[in-house]
Amino acid sequence: MADMDLAPEAGAVPEVTLERVNVAPAQTWNRLRTNDITLTVPAHSRKGDVYFSLPRLFEGVECGMGREVTDWAESQAAGARYVEVPRDERREEPIVVRVGAGDVADTGVMVRAGAEATIVVTTGDLTKVTGSSVRFPQDSSDEKNLTDDPVTFVRSGTSASLMRIIAEAGARVHLHEYVGVGAGQQHLESVGITCGRDARVDVHQYLLGGGTVALGLACELAGERARVDLGCRYHAGDTEVLDINEIVRQRGRDTRSELSYNGVLEDAAKKSLRTTIDLVHGAKGAQGNEAETVLVLGDDVVNKTLPTILCDEDDVAGNHGATIGSVSPEQLAFLASRGLSREDAEQLFVQALYEDALMHAPCPEARAVVEAGAGSLLDEEA
Amino acid sequence: MSEERKRTQVADVDRSLYDFTKSEEGYERYDDGLTPEIVRAISAKKDEPEWMLEMRLRALELYHARPMAENWGPSIAGLDLDHISTYVSPKTKQAKSWDDVPADIKDTFERLGIPEAERESLAGVGAQYDSEIVYHNMREEVAEQGVIYTTIEDALHDPQWEPVVHEYFGTLIPPTDHKFAALHYAVWSGGSFVYVPAGVTLPYPLQSYFRLNAAGAGQFEHTLIIVEPGADLHFIEGCSAPKYYEANLHAGAVELFVKDGARLRYSTIENWSKNMYNLNTKRATIGADSKMEWVSGSFGSHVSYLYPTTIMAGDRSTCEFTGITFAGATQDLDTGCKVIMNGADTTASVSTKSISKDGGVNTFRSSVVIGRHADRARCSVSCQSLMLDDISRSDTIPAMDVRNATAQVGHEATIGRISDDTVLYLMSRGCSEAEARTLVVNGFANPVSKELPMEYAVEMNNLIKLEMEGAIG
Repeated sequence: MADMDLAPEAGAVPEVTLERVNVAPAQTWNRLRTNDITLTVPAHSRKGDVYFSLPRLFEGVECGMGREVTDWAESQAAGARYVEVPRDERREEPIVVRVGAGDVADTGVMVRAGAEATIVVTTGDLTKVTGSSVRFPQDSSDEKNLTDDPVTFVRSGTSASLMRIIAEAGARVHLHEYVGVGAGQQHLESVGITCGRDARVDVHQYLLGGGTVALGLACELAGERARVDLGCRYHAGDTEVLDINEIVRQRGRDTRSELSYNGVLEDAAKKSLRTTIDLVHGAKGAQGNEAETVLVLGDDVVNKTLPTILCDEDDVAGNHGATIGSVSPEQLAFLASRGLSREDAEQLFVQALYEDALMHAPCPEARAVVEAGAGSLLDEEA
Repeated sequence: MSEERKRTQVADVDRSLYDFTKSEEGYERYDDGLTPEIVRAISAKKDEPEWMLEMRLRALELYHARPMAENWGPSIAGLDLDHISTYVSPKTKQAKSWDDVPADIKDTFERLGIPEAERESLAGVGAQYDSEIVYHNMREEVAEQGVIYTTIEDALHDPQWEPVVHEYFGTLIPPTDHKFAALHYAVWSGGSFVYVPAGVTLPYPLQSYFRLNAAGAGQFEHTLIIVEPGADLHFIEGCSAPKYYEANLHAGAVELFVKDGARLRYSTIENWSKNMYNLNTKRATIGADSKMEWVSGSFGSHVSYLYPTTIMAGDRSTCEFTGITFAGATQDLDTGCKVIMNGADTTASVSTKSISKDGGVNTFRSSVVIGRHADRARCSVSCQSLMLDDISRSDTIPAMDVRNATAQVGHEATIGRISDDTVLYLMSRGCSEAEARTLVVNGFANPVSKELPMEYAVEMNNLIKLEMEGAIG
């Protein structure tokens, strides 16, 4: 963290510049400007506040956006929220973290051995959904909430979620992230996951717009046969900036990672995607696969991708594939034969993304984020 | 060595072909280190135009001012310029006949097979020994077509070509490019100047071979090639050095100008010794309807930073990059390529293979940048890495930056080892385990070796065979 404005003008929110955010573990040429990003965020003084932090065990969990963001989020959140799912218990009700405009949430979830939990992080200005029938149920009472509401109002325009998850041996975790904020807003979402033996995590990310959305996820497959399946779908238009950094460190034997990215970029959107599959020495039998498909629909789009595979072991397999481009002439011709213009066809891809997000939304809050982001794209029956 | 040990440990490479040294007695060797006096002395020795001296001195300042990037790339902590001589020259003049080359130097190049290759299949040869070209010759019929193949130094002394060198030299790779580009321009010596007139097709390749014999020395040759519209050239570059227990440095620069409708194939087999820091820079700019082909094999050096770059400025141009890297014990090879597509309807294809064994580190690093005006550009990148044991390392770091909605980019990368099933299958057909593995590795490398000139392909296959001897992974 650097450049804190210690003497801001009266009434102005003090700010701090986070110099190295979403840092790729393996760096490349600096002139490509793809190694990391710099973000300016509000920095309220929380002197005198009583801060409830997570158990120290969570300090060792690596988060995707990096240490600077972790420190900043901890400094801005009013307190941390700790949820524990007891051993061998299957928790039916999702653990929902709602992040509104200006909120900073700090959450730690411990999923004990053999337990199963669904975690949902939703970020969006839900008041935009006028006439929505969605209700927001309170989280279940068996959580060890250290504060009632783990958010604090910082500067309207910047929100953040820090989510750390420990999945013990044999645990199952379903993580859903839904992000859709306004054009003038900035959102930081940093996730850290550690998986024990035979633990399995599936991650479903829907990034549906925002002035600047920066998301980082680090997943350590520490135990044997641990597995992560990650699907990320995104849409960015206008001059939106989307910055993603996802790291999977495969330390355990026979671990498996499956990463899939699918997005649509329009207008003058800027997207950077850094993915790293780190096959650590000793991870015999590990496999890591990553695939990306990007549909570029705008003339001023900037699409950067840095898909990295680090391999320090021979008995492993790492694969990456990427396809970047527009709707192919063949696809357009087919759709034209069905009466669809190019614009209609392109909108179809965007619409499909939102419908998929809606279809998989695990709770009303997630649905609300999708509906707010989709606007008129979704028909009544979706 | 017991049979058991032989079976579980990869034999060291037989580098006797390259690992022989000749006495430096009587050679001119400048003091170690880098000072303005040394730079002036090199310039004076070459009797250069004033602009070149100014460029050297400006580059020296840039070198001292420019930091080395610390967040990426292999360590070069073992490289100390204060213990490197930037200019070592044998006491001989450039010859046009091998008979006029001093016996020990001639013996060196004969052992490397250069004169034989020249007789059989080359249109011209340049041979550099330490800092100076000791032999340069081109077939008469090629010269009659107006092709110029000479040293940069000779071109600078020719009133016809000095303005051409002045116009192109240092423009594609400016001294400001990076720290070791600046070093190169401060102390460059030797290399080749090639000019192929419009419409001329060379029937045979030209070849420059760079041999660094001196211990604790650097080689800083500059290659400048201009292929005029519609012309066609195949240029081969080879390099090797004996092994010493002190660091050597290679910081050459290759600038290639391929004009509209022209084609250039640039083949390299780099087989530096394993005490070499190979910090080489290669770049091409290609015009409309042109074609640039890189074929690159990296086998030697302790540390390599090598990323041939192609700037596809013209519409409908094509670039192909085919490369293989083999990293063994004590080697950290950071190689790959860069492609910048600015023209419409351009096509680029990158295919690389890397093999890591015996603790070697391979990093494939690339960037594909598709500019705003590169309508309908097409690019495919394929990177395959083979791990032969669990003490080696292989990383792939490919970057893509796409700024055109009509462009199509495909990328794939795989890292893995030879599957047990494959080895078992081959053994069931009568191969020993070592033979089976060698067969697989040769097959893996075959798409690259078939692109190389025959003698280099044979050399590469022999190297792989030697590297694989006794290895069971």
